[in-house]
Order: sequence, then C-alpha cells, then structure tokens
Amino acid sequence: MSSLQKRAWLALWSMCPAYCIYFVAQIGLPYLQPTMLERIGCLAVVASFHAVAYICGLLVIKRHEAGDPLLQDERDRAIDGRATRTAYFILLTGMIVVGMVMPFNNGGWELVNAALFFIVLTETARYALILLGYRQPRLAR
Amino acid sequence: MTNEVRLLRFLAQDMTQAELGRRVGLTRQTIAAIEQGRYSPSLDVAFRIAHLFGKRVDEVFHWQPGGDQETKTPNSDAS
Repeated sequence: MSSLQKRAWLALWSMCPAYCIYFVAQIGLPYLQPTMLERIGCLAVVASFHAVAYICGLLVIKRHEAGDPLLQDERDRAIDGRATRTAYFILLTGMIVVGMVMPFNNGGWELVNAALFFIVLTETARYALILLGYRQPRLAR
Repeated sequence: MTNEVRLLRFLAQDMTQAELGRRVGLTRQTIAAIEQGRYSPSLDVAFRIAHLFGKRVDEVFHWQPGGDQETKTPNSDAS
C-alpha cells in the first residue's frame, strides 16, 4: 500500500465516524435547545477527536515509513490531482449553496453546519477518489 | 500497453521492484502497477527504465492502437 493510500485511509477513518456522530447529534440538538457555547463545545470535541486520531495515525505511518527513500511518485501525484480536482467542484457547489442560496431561508447554525457538511463531504470524496484511483484507474479519471 | 519490465528485471539478476523503483525514481507500488499493466508511465520514466536495462523504449513498452483504452497516463490529465 502506497504512502498516499495509507494517509487516505487514515483520513477517512479519523474523519467520517467523528463527523457522522456530530451531524446526527446536530439533528437532535435543536430539540434540546442548546446554548451557543454548548454547540461550539460539541464541535470542538468532534474536531479534537478527529485531530488526535489523525495525528496518532500519522505518527504510526511515519514510523513505518522511516526507511522508505521515496514516498510519492508521478502515479501518486496524478491520482491525487484527479481526486482533488473533482473534490474542488463539490466544494464549489457546496459553498454556492451555503453562501448564495441558504441565506435567503436559513441562518445561524444551519449555515455553519451546512458549510461544515460540505467541507467534510469534499474531503471524504477526495480521499475516496484517491482510494478508487489505486483500485480502478479508469473510474478515477 | 504491454511491457517487458518483469522479464527484464528477471534477466538483471532478478532485480527487485523496490530496487528498480529506487533507481528510476518510482515507488515499488508503481513498478508493480506498471508490470501488471494498470499504469502507463510517463515518457520520462519509460526512457529511464529502458535506459537502465540498456534497451530502447519500444523494446520495453509495446503499444497497440485501441489495445488498451483503460490505462491512465499522467499526460492525459492535461486534456
């Protein structure tokens, strides 16, 4: 498994569970009428969990790769480039929805959560496309 | 696109994929993908591999019109 593949798996496994829990909680939170501080606290806990899980995983990966002379080559960069290009359009669409459409009918935390959702979706799509690029080069074009 | 990289490695005292990768600037995984026909290297890398084995590029890599439309090349990213 290449270095980029390992990092993509790590990013997916550290990000998806944390933010899935966060977004499920956000669906239920309005009924509990949380304060601003509680909402920020919820986001901080999830972001911290994501960061700690990712950094720990990265340290393990770096330890395993300590002797490798080359971590990425032209194939890795090509796969990464294709995935990033596709993810960029997802982010662009999301930001248009959040910044130009939603403000007419929504506000406050709905906008914040929608923006966060599209960022997580973009990252998830990028890493998923990277993994797909290694398995099925034709599908990742 | 097909290639003779696996055979040439065998003839070069059974050079490992990692060793070949190190000498041409690729990872072992990419050498494996090239050998399996899952990845077509750039022209630069193709020349480097051929040069390493003392062959011409067309002796190492074989291309047939319409033969393999699925293989991805880095150069096609620009199109």
